[in-house]
Amino acid sequence: MSRQQVRGNPRMRKGLGSRTSDPATMMEDPPSGDWLTLRSDQFLNWVDDAVYNIAEKTGIRDVVNRVTRPIFNWGLRYSPWPLHLGIMCCALEMGAAGGPDHDSERMGVVYRSSPRQCDILIVNGPVCEKLRPKLKTLYEQMADPKWVIAMGECAIGGGPYWDSYSIVAGADTFMPVDVYIPGCPVRPEALMHGFLTLQKKIREQEPGYFLRR
Amino acid sequence: MAEMWIHMGPQHPMTHGLWNLRIKVNGETITDAVPELGYLHRSVEKIGERRKYFMNTTLTDRLCYASAMTWTHCYCLAAEELMGVVAPPRAQYIRTAVLELQRIASHLMWLGAYLPDLGLITGFLYGMRDREMFLNLLEIPSGGRLLYNYVKIGGVKRDLPPGFEAKAERVMQTLERRLKEYENLYDNSKIFRMRNDGVGVYSASDAINWGITGPNLRSAGVPFDLRQADSYDAYPELDFEPVTNTAAGGGSDCFSRYRQRIDEMHQSMDLVRQALAKMPEGRVMADSVPLRASGEAFRRTEDSRGEALMYLVGDGSDRPYRWKIRSPMFTTVSAAPHFLKGYKMADVPAIMGSLDMCIGETDK
Amino acid sequence: METGQLVQQLVKHEGASDGSVLRSNVGRISITREASQSFFSTLKNDFGFDHCSLISAVDNQTAFELVYHFSIVDATGQMLEVHIDLPRDTPTVDSITHLWGGADWHEREAYDLMGIYFIGHPDLKRVLLPDGFAGHPLRKDYVYEIHEEEW
Repeated sequence: MSRQQVRGNPRMRKGLGSRTSDPATMMEDPPSGDWLTLRSDQFLNWVDDAVYNIAEKTGIRDVVNRVTRPIFNWGLRYSPWPLHLGIMCCALEMGAAGGPDHDSERMGVVYRSSPRQCDILIVNGPVCEKLRPKLKTLYEQMADPKWVIAMGECAIGGGPYWDSYSIVAGADTFMPVDVYIPGCPVRPEALMHGFLTLQKKIREQEPGYFLRR
Repeated sequence: MAEMWIHMGPQHPMTHGLWNLRIKVNGETITDAVPELGYLHRSVEKIGERRKYFMNTTLTDRLCYASAMTWTHCYCLAAEELMGVVAPPRAQYIRTAVLELQRIASHLMWLGAYLPDLGLITGFLYGMRDREMFLNLLEIPSGGRLLYNYVKIGGVKRDLPPGFEAKAERVMQTLERRLKEYENLYDNSKIFRMRNDGVGVYSASDAINWGITGPNLRSAGVPFDLRQADSYDAYPELDFEPVTNTAAGGGSDCFSRYRQRIDEMHQSMDLVRQALAKMPEGRVMADSVPLRASGEAFRRTEDSRGEALMYLVGDGSDRPYRWKIRSPMFTTVSAAPHFLKGYKMADVPAIMGSLDMCIGETDK
Repeated sequence: METGQLVQQLVKHEGASDGSVLRSNVGRISITREASQSFFSTLKNDFGFDHCSLISAVDNQTAFELVYHFSIVDATGQMLEVHIDLPRDTPTVDSITHLWGGADWHEREAYDLMGIYFIGHPDLKRVLLPDGFAGHPLRKDYVYEIHEEEW
């Protein structure tokens, strides 16, 4: 494959490895022949582009995706691990949903303490101005794929504290929310229905994972 | 040895609620602690001034959500004092009964949250299972599981349906059987005793100076119970004494605080039986509750966690001019650094859990 | 001792005025800002009020008012409500943290939300609001935007 057909970074087509556009610090073109000099991250991007282009052109990507998407999707749907975060009253109902009367663990819900090991962030209370940067940090520490459930009126739009000076009007003002569960407080049965709704959303809207862009 | 500051919070599996505890550790031993609150500040006092008096009961429920009935009740008592309204006797007895049921549910929530902190995760399931029984019981008159909006200014929202007493009796007998089982399991467990005995000790005089009230004070041997000292509702007609516990070396430690709440659950069940037996007939709401009020008034009640006090100032309109809330956990958290020093980092969940913190009320 | 007697004895203190009985176990008294330190020492040491229940700050638009609630930890449940008026432009008063440790965070909250400065407090900084917050929200002249239109 000649270099002119490579998709991706146009600078690589010219064989330039430097990040600057200043002509004085740019590496000069090699005197003759085809030379390609890359940093390690550029090399990885180049390999990624190359593999994606081959798989896309020959149609292998589509075939493998069609086979593996149901398997990965089944895994994502039936093991949603939320973060062990309790903000306010809905957190007690989240805990009650994990109790023996309404067992949430039968859906694969296992609460983890570290955001790096979680799939779902359940926002179960009003988000105060002091808490907002910490919650955003927690959301960014979670690895893809991740979803956010806004549980309760306070997370949907401020709730009973909509006219307070220190409450953010809903979690969706600073992070993307996937499922909204109304209620004040949300009954454990409603939280289970929220988990089922999230499972339906994952089944229908989540793309496959083979060479995902 | 390496000295460093460690942040425990705001997202931490041990902290019941959203707060930040910064501890300075020298190796594993704690040398200093600085609690930081405010992650749940909803400015309830400011938005309460924008709402009418009777609309604020929705906000008071959410102050301490584990024990919602007691906070609404404190607000209603203060508002009734301001307006000069007296609830009829049947309403007072109903309030007493549901308050004690709420106290039991709150202590069971504490038990279900405290034991996992020590590593006994099955205790969470036991606590949740028993608490569900009481939440179902409280759902019968009020309609809500966790937040009820049941106690109103001038009385209660609706009467107890017939058959409530029999259901309550069945539930309480089940709990008594189970509490006996738990006492055998926990009190005789060597690991539980090792993690609780002599941990987080403070003396009674220190506790009074620091402003600690409620079960945390009574577990140091001080028989101060607001239901008896500054009585309200039907408590003057009920027959009970404050329950106290003391640690083995004097003062209060985690084990005496644990025993205090178990004993208080037994006492609450006794009070519920007395209140339901002596309940008079009659209305459940006062004849007329005014919309406007002026003057100032305050009332304090024995909340599940200590002394809750509400101070209301009215200026003649139908909204409060100033509403001030006293939360018992606010002063207890400020005193926590004193009895965290000298213990190991692994004792922090045990000490802070045994105080039964609820951040909803501290962060008004 | 009985509430009426208690209030009568306290009113004799310098700077005290306007004593009354609110309920059978609750008395009420007003004190001037200058006499507050000696009054509170007398209250703790001579009359045995060992528990500081609450310190509230009220914004009466021409002045500030501090309302203290003290109680005795025994079976009588005796309480006292103390009012101090502060001028609007210099709302400062002496701190009582050295007498009652429980007053520590109550004073911090009064500073945080209402802007009352307590002289002699060991660590007077914000407790509920974030550190960089400007203004004291519970004052009556604090204006903030309520997102009504966004519904």
